[in-house]
Amino acid sequence: MAVADTMRERLAAAFAPTVLEIVDESEAHRGHAGWREGGQTHFRITITATAFAGMGRIARHRAVHAALGPDIVGRIHALALEIRAAGEGG
Amino acid sequence: MSDVRARIRQQVDGNDVVLYMKGTKMMPQCGFSSRIAGVLNFIGVDFVDVNVLADEEIRQGIKEFSDWPTIPQLYVKGEFVGGCDIVTEMTLSGELDQLFETKGIPFDRAAADKIREANA
Repeated sequence: MAVADTMRERLAAAFAPTVLEIVDESEAHRGHAGWREGGQTHFRITITATAFAGMGRIARHRAVHAALGPDIVGRIHALALEIRAAGEGG
Repeated sequence: MSDVRARIRQQVDGNDVVLYMKGTKMMPQCGFSSRIAGVLNFIGVDFVDVNVLADEEIRQGIKEFSDWPTIPQLYVKGEFVGGCDIVTEMTLSGELDQLFETKGIPFDRAAADKIREANA
């Protein structure tokens, strides 16, 4: 399964998000450190879920890292996260 | 406490602002590290840079120290602040200014305002 599909499955199961966008930005980093042939190394995730309400920034990121799991977090090179609780602007 | 943990503890407690990064503040070797170093340089914050590419033990150890899987990592007065996304968000929201103010870290507010104006 593609890395992005695994990410989508795990994040959907963990947070029931109302917004979930996963973009593989690997091609933009072609040739940079950590890039590999075939991509799937650099990702940007935008996620909105009520589950994040009341959590600080660090706690939100840790929750997403935990939901993705060490296998995913360990194999990708870069992960940009935009995490919002429902109703928050941005 | 393992040696590397003790070394990191000493670094973050012994310096007001520490950035664990890939490369150095003068020559960053990763876009994400470059962004935080660039912000700190631009707003005149005096910080210590630790190049994790030059020290494999620190490179792994810092991730366990903070329970945070990625680099860069910013510490202020011994406390983990966040990585690239969090520091960027805090810069734009003004929370980073507040943090430096609260912790007594000198910085150039006018320069920070310029970043916010440019990204408004």
